[in-house]
Amino acid sequence: MAMAFLLDLGRCIGCQACSAACKTGNELAAGTQFIRLIEQTRGEFPDLSGGFTNHRCYHCADAACVNVCPTGALYKEDGLTRTSRDICSGCGYCVEACPFGVPEMVDGLSSKCDGCADTVRAGGEPWCVVTCPSNALEFGEREEIVKEARERVTAMRARYPKARVYGEDEAGGLGVVMVLPDDPDVLDLPVDPAPGALINTWTGIVQPATLALTAGATVAAGVMGVIARRNHMLELKALEEGEEA
Amino acid sequence: MAVQPGPNGRVKLNITRRSFLKAGATAGTLAALGRPTGSLAQKRPGAEIPWYRTGTIETTYNNCDMCPWRCGVLVHTVDGVVRKIEGNPADPKSRGMLCARGQGGVSFVYDPDRLQSPMIRTGERGDGQFREVTWEEALDYSAAKILAIRDTYGPESLAIFGHTSGDFWFTDYFAQAFGTPNAAKPSSSLCLSPREEAFKLMTGLAVGGHEPVDWDGLQCLTLIGSHIGEDARNTVMQDFSNAWARGARVVVVDPRFSSVAAKADYWLPIKPGTDTALLLAWANVLIDEDLYDAGYVADWVAGFDDYAGHVSELTPEWAEAITEIPAETIRTTARVMAENRPRSAIMPGRHVTWYGTDTQRMRAVYAINALLGAYGRQGGMYFNKSAYLEAYPHPPFAVAGSSGGCSAEPGEESDELPLGPSGKARADGARTSFLRGATAMQELIDPMISGEPYPIKGLVTYGVNLFNSIPNVPRTVEAVKELDFFLAVDVLPMEHIAWADVVFPEATFVERYDELWAVPYKTPFISMREPAIEPLYDTRPGWWMARELGIRVGLDNYFQWETAEEYLDKRLLSVGSSLEKMRAQNGVIVQSGKPYLEDFGEASPFTTTSARIELYSEDLAQAGLDPMPVYEPTEEPPAGFYRLLYGRHPVHTFAKTQNTPLLSDLYPENELWLNQRRADEEGVTSGDRVWLENQDGARSGPIKVKATQRIRPDAVFMVHGFGQQSAGLSRADGKGASDTKLQTRYKLDPISGGAGMRVNFVKLVKEV
Amino acid sequence: MATLERPVLRYRRNQRIVHAVLATSFLLLLLTGMMLLWGPASRFAGGGTSRLVHRIAALGYMSVPIGYLLADRAGAIELVRESFRYDRDDIAWFKHMYRYALGRTREMPPQGRLNAGQKLHHAFVIVVSVGVVGTGLTLWFLKSSLGPDWLAFTTLMHDLCMLGLTLFLVGHLYFTYVYKALSGMTTGYVDAVEARLEHAKWVEELAASPQPAHATDPAHAITKTNKTTTTTYRKGKKQ
Repeated sequence: MAMAFLLDLGRCIGCQACSAACKTGNELAAGTQFIRLIEQTRGEFPDLSGGFTNHRCYHCADAACVNVCPTGALYKEDGLTRTSRDICSGCGYCVEACPFGVPEMVDGLSSKCDGCADTVRAGGEPWCVVTCPSNALEFGEREEIVKEARERVTAMRARYPKARVYGEDEAGGLGVVMVLPDDPDVLDLPVDPAPGALINTWTGIVQPATLALTAGATVAAGVMGVIARRNHMLELKALEEGEEA
Repeated sequence: MAVQPGPNGRVKLNITRRSFLKAGATAGTLAALGRPTGSLAQKRPGAEIPWYRTGTIETTYNNCDMCPWRCGVLVHTVDGVVRKIEGNPADPKSRGMLCARGQGGVSFVYDPDRLQSPMIRTGERGDGQFREVTWEEALDYSAAKILAIRDTYGPESLAIFGHTSGDFWFTDYFAQAFGTPNAAKPSSSLCLSPREEAFKLMTGLAVGGHEPVDWDGLQCLTLIGSHIGEDARNTVMQDFSNAWARGARVVVVDPRFSSVAAKADYWLPIKPGTDTALLLAWANVLIDEDLYDAGYVADWVAGFDDYAGHVSELTPEWAEAITEIPAETIRTTARVMAENRPRSAIMPGRHVTWYGTDTQRMRAVYAINALLGAYGRQGGMYFNKSAYLEAYPHPPFAVAGSSGGCSAEPGEESDELPLGPSGKARADGARTSFLRGATAMQELIDPMISGEPYPIKGLVTYGVNLFNSIPNVPRTVEAVKELDFFLAVDVLPMEHIAWADVVFPEATFVERYDELWAVPYKTPFISMREPAIEPLYDTRPGWWMARELGIRVGLDNYFQWETAEEYLDKRLLSVGSSLEKMRAQNGVIVQSGKPYLEDFGEASPFTTTSARIELYSEDLAQAGLDPMPVYEPTEEPPAGFYRLLYGRHPVHTFAKTQNTPLLSDLYPENELWLNQRRADEEGVTSGDRVWLENQDGARSGPIKVKATQRIRPDAVFMVHGFGQQSAGLSRADGKGASDTKLQTRYKLDPISGGAGMRVNFVKLVKEV
Repeated sequence: MATLERPVLRYRRNQRIVHAVLATSFLLLLLTGMMLLWGPASRFAGGGTSRLVHRIAALGYMSVPIGYLLADRAGAIELVRESFRYDRDDIAWFKHMYRYALGRTREMPPQGRLNAGQKLHHAFVIVVSVGVVGTGLTLWFLKSSLGPDWLAFTTLMHDLCMLGLTLFLVGHLYFTYVYKALSGMTTGYVDAVEARLEHAKWVEELAASPQPAHATDPAHAITKTNKTTTTTYRKGKKQ
């Protein structure tokens, strides 16, 4: 079942309770944060607007990090992008591939939000959602979340006419469906965060093809090698016999 | 041990560690308990076994001590180690949620910099040289010193400053039993006093710790300097967010484009110090355009005609010249406020000691709310109520308490100040240099130096960061040098600890029982605090220290209980409960309140002489003060200087949390908000480090510049509580700049005794 | 021919060392790289040790041309030159390569010290190594400034290069096995009969010179093509 977060950037007031709850709940090392809040300011004093955006994993359905991960340490489950640090090679490709610049290398391994996989599997909610004092974060079945996001946007348009849902379809549909008070480019969010075709070619075609061709060539060489060597031995034998004769 | 004052007068604590072999059985047990295995900071993200899987989770009830708001929390421990603190869903304040600071509670408990053992000073004050001693020795020594002061000067000569959620034991209970009226809390005269005195003068009521905005039906919220979101009070953020999402109008008056200003429908970037002019002009519009609630005013407001006459000339045009807010904006916002009345109110705010004219400004705030008919109306301002709960039976106190604080009841403002056992009233100048209100902490510093009106020779601080809260730090340092005895109770080696004669290391809120928390609220409630773990190291709960000290200074009769459980159960008996029963009902007892006018029937909720909201104050007129709020200009910054504004960051509380590992990780040092254009003129960019020098030559820094459009060009802003200078604080030491150290001046509010601190100016000094 | 019955020195010590370094580093690179393509194996990449090994091996791999030049400058240059120079016999060899692949040397045109296939292998390794080293260094040092698309392109090219090299490696090992050629790289000597069969021109040359020509000047020994050499075996077989 596809799950998703709702992130309401209208409501978010930048208190960082989410960052802190995430850090304590997941016992993140000093210096590591899965959620960072970024203050945004537009305009010049005194004609200003602004707010906060979240720098956090958006759990793309078509996730560049998953596509680019050579080992499967990043994978999709229930609509969220999970991480298995024990099979992460630390190649860092996810860090480069992510259109949002989310994964970081910590202790040489990829580190990012995994949607509190443990607690969610146990029936709980992610730590950030549990604690958010401004109800800017919700978690649930993606369908419900999208519905809620639409309702919130409708209500918000009275105040912000350009309010919109973000992530319903972007990058195949984000696992963090956002309620934006303004256009995504105004909020420094990529308008089209879909991963490039090259990444899909690489991980979808070249990598499996490489494995298959190598394995196939090895097997073929093994089988053929036995035949060829026998041929050659016969040839040598014939030669010897000929010389002796 | 060598004396090692660091740079900028920073002081190192050189502690001769006492061997635990000598410490007796208790200390040995505590030492064995030690630090949690697999220190939190060392854990890798995505650890294979999350903490909640490593053993059995035990949950205890508590209220959070990471800020004064005291949200009800659940403390989860695994194998005797606190691993997670969450909001208690049954608690009316947290409602299951928690702010960043609350989340940082675990990290606060396991901060390796914590004070670990009682200590007695061995060097000069300020050197920071101590030897660790047993509790027995520390208590006996302190008791002897306190008794010597009492016998020579009288009990009034012992001052007790207390803050944070255990302050009851020292600042209220011990102080009143011992007989000193000089017990003070920074939450009064350095924070709330003007707000409380203004409200008492006008309504006879207390605003209370929790501003009684009736959020559920609120349709228009006006904030004067309150920066919700940066001031991260959990409940207020929840309530604000819900009201905002419902479409409530938001008017924010702030020289800075704060987090909440960005959510506002109207942001009024007011010239600092001119708020009263704006408030009077708003009243002018409400009355002039007949927008006020005439029916409510007729029933519940006294002195309306006086007030109408008073503001009749104070037009938006008049205010525009003062506040730099366009007259039309003033009119528009007044109309928006009035359109939504009575579901419209100006939130009283918390820290209101700004310019020394603050009680008058707060009266102007409440006058607007009265004109909007907000008090006692749904969606306006409700009447709060404290939970019914009997005090623990004790002999009559030697002196009535007057420390105030954010949990204080309105109290009776007697004409005569209460006298201590040797016939002396408060030494803070109440009734002479200011009119009324709680004991003014900053006014108790001078008597320590001058001996006038009588000497204060002893000081006990409980959780007060002495050099990072009271303005005019050089004076405080001088005062501390003059003391006969200085006992500091704290969890961390804050800057002033180096100056103490005796240090009592306190157990944190998750390691102790504490007084019940019964704050005035819409639905009165009682929340409990119980220990989740044994105190770490050789620390002890505040109640235990106060009791042990009390018994040693002859106050045995006041401390008849043996354990905190006994004390708490006895009090809870008065509401038919007990600790056991409270645990069974999720750690909270909720009672019903009387929030609205109709709950009082024919009676008036207002306890003034007229039983109405008094816009005109006879009391003030009699004292020779303005009976109605008047705009008084404040001093302008000299050329090249900016007005120093300060405030909050959502992950820090006062000067308390800067060293907490998790919170320091999220926001390690404060920044200097400087208008972008001014930054260009000064030739500095974001990230540059500068020193700040105030009008008196006091310096603090270096601090990182945050060049931003978000602030007026005539002021700079920084988060309070940074720039601490204590080598024992491995994370906070020397990080950023201290607003307090740049506040060499303050302006005393002649009504409430509040210390207006926004009267200091700074200039940038580029780092060389 | 009888004089050449004892094993023939085919690769001298320096050449064998260069080859060993190349082979070892390549296998390490292949192993540590390939680990990432298969989930179960990628577990062992966890922690980044394999990346360190990969980078150390990469240094070894990149040192091969330098090492060869230092140890045997003429040989190195000649190797490169020879790899890109093909005569008619070579072309003919390629035409009938499938026979060679099936272990039937007697039908092949006579070859010098390196047969056409070996030359092509060398040429391929040289060219593709430039590609794999280039993309590898890019991923090593410029990873963080590539951006998603160039990163994908670079890794894709790196993988394709390695795929080519790996397929050539399979062929390389295949021929080594079929023609029992391993000793050439272990002891340096190959069986005389094998040599005669597969590198007739070279063997004739060796026989013609009183002192083995390659011992003093291997470059000349292998590049001298003897156009008079007959194609007995082929003709014979064809009949």
